Amino acid sequence: MTEIYPIGGGKGGVGKSFISASLGALIAKWGHNVVVIDLDLGASNLHTLLGMKSPKLGLNHYIDKTVRGLESVAVPTMIPNLFFISSFHCSMEIANLLHAHKLKIISAIQKLPFDYILLDLGTGTNFNTLDFFLTSKEGILIGTPEPTSIENFFRFINTVYFRILKQTLKRSEFHSAVKDAVTEMSGATGGTHDILKIVSKYHPDKVTDLKNKLSEFKFKLILNQFRKNMDSTLGNKIETVCNRHFHSNFQFVGNIGYDGQIHDAVYSKTLYVHKYPHTQSSNDLKKIAKKITGNRRPTSLPKEIS
Amino acid sequence: MKYFDGLNYYEILKIPENSSFLEIKQAYRDAVSIYGEDSLVTYSLFSTDEREKILKIIEAAFFTLIDGNQRAAYDRMLVDSGQSDTTFISGQSQKQSEPVFYPGKAADDDQLADDATIKNQADEEKQLSDEILSKSSVSGKDLKKLREALGVEIHEIHSLTRISVSVLNAIEENRLESLPPDTYLRNFLKLYAEVLQIDPLKIVDGYFKHISRVQNTD
Repeated sequence: MTEIYPIGGGKGGVGKSFISASLGALIAKWGHNVVVIDLDLGASNLHTLLGMKSPKLGLNHYIDKTVRGLESVAVPTMIPNLFFISSFHCSMEIANLLHAHKLKIISAIQKLPFDYILLDLGTGTNFNTLDFFLTSKEGILIGTPEPTSIENFFRFINTVYFRILKQTLKRSEFHSAVKDAVTEMSGATGGTHDILKIVSKYHPDKVTDLKNKLSEFKFKLILNQFRKNMDSTLGNKIETVCNRHFHSNFQFVGNIGYDGQIHDAVYSKTLYVHKYPHTQSSNDLKKIAKKITGNRRPTSLPKEIS
Repeated sequence: MKYFDGLNYYEILKIPENSSFLEIKQAYRDAVSIYGEDSLVTYSLFSTDEREKILKIIEAAFFTLIDGNQRAAYDRMLVDSGQSDTTFISGQSQKQSEPVFYPGKAADDDQLADDATIKNQADEEKQLSDEILSKSSVSGKDLKKLREALGVEIHEIHSLTRISVSVLNAIEENRLESLPPDTYLRNFLKLYAEVLQIDPLKIVDGYFKHISRVQNTD
């Protein structure tokens, strides 16, 4: 069984790539087969956080059909069982990916033969980021304990919801008034409530279906760059609020303590959890990784006990 | 976005129907820390209007449940309208005094950290009550400190226990000459401790030890 976790959260600089690389490395060290995919097209730098040079092979070779299967561009990393798909050589134009190419990538990701697939997504809420996020019914949302990040975090959930509803409406029989109204809306603020309101006017029977659609999704929340003097209940409270006011399932999986050495590791282009396995932040990451794998048994023996 | 549609006051505050006075207070404090205007938790999630509406509902829930008479009427309404089963009626099965603070009831650090459910404020309260319970003698000052940390007013203890405010003040201020006879005092201390949900036996013993110590040094 393959578990796919897109890693998003709206704001830039909250540590999406760092957490993708770290969780990938930890889960792989425990003996699971893992691939991390850099989907921050046009601004990719996941390879640096994995402590490697940009590989020659990448997503672009799959898009331009140099290779047949997406798995052929997954390259090994310094961690056994951990593979990496780069988008470094995807040129800037590819950041405006063709719709057909996007669908091709998404469907190829869903077929990749790994235990865990982590998708490192770009900043913001553009269509590519949202569609890649919706590759899976599960996702990881990253934020930091700052108003700007919290704001983008909620905006991200709202736009994801808006995208899900819009796609569902497009695919099925709905009154043209509903479709027109939705086309005019933007997902920036609270569109979900408005869509459900319009739908309930024309198709009262379908509101529950739409809500059920949203409730199929499960999101894990991580707060990064957490400093000691902060309110340690913040994550749990955000979880409570999300479960109360959104329709999906939200689970807070932990804080990651702030550590200046993380920046040092990035500067020296090394994989932090590998170089500093026993720091507070690495321990925080291990606890989070453990919550993601749960009791699942590894496919191969753990290579290293840490 | 969902709001509190269809939820009763207990569900809005996320507390069981037999919650004690202290639990209601704490739940209210938690709710305000989540939905208050300056809260980081819900920053930008609601419009000013929505937030005001939510806070109004939370306040209505709190002021109804914290008042014995209003709560009883509300509970009856829940039962009559079929929103709650008849096995509970406020005052009958309502939890009066289950102490949550015991000596040596140490939190399992590992488990707490794993669950990521550490609560700053709750931690502080636990620490304070542990500190008080670990003392062999408990002064009125200790009691006052704990009461204030829990956000409980003296008149609230009065309305729950019917102990007069002047006696409560005398207890907290260690004014021996104004304290009632021992049998009464014993009972009053027990009621006081029950409201704050701290081990009553320890408090009664500790307070009497404190009194005798003061009397001996005189």
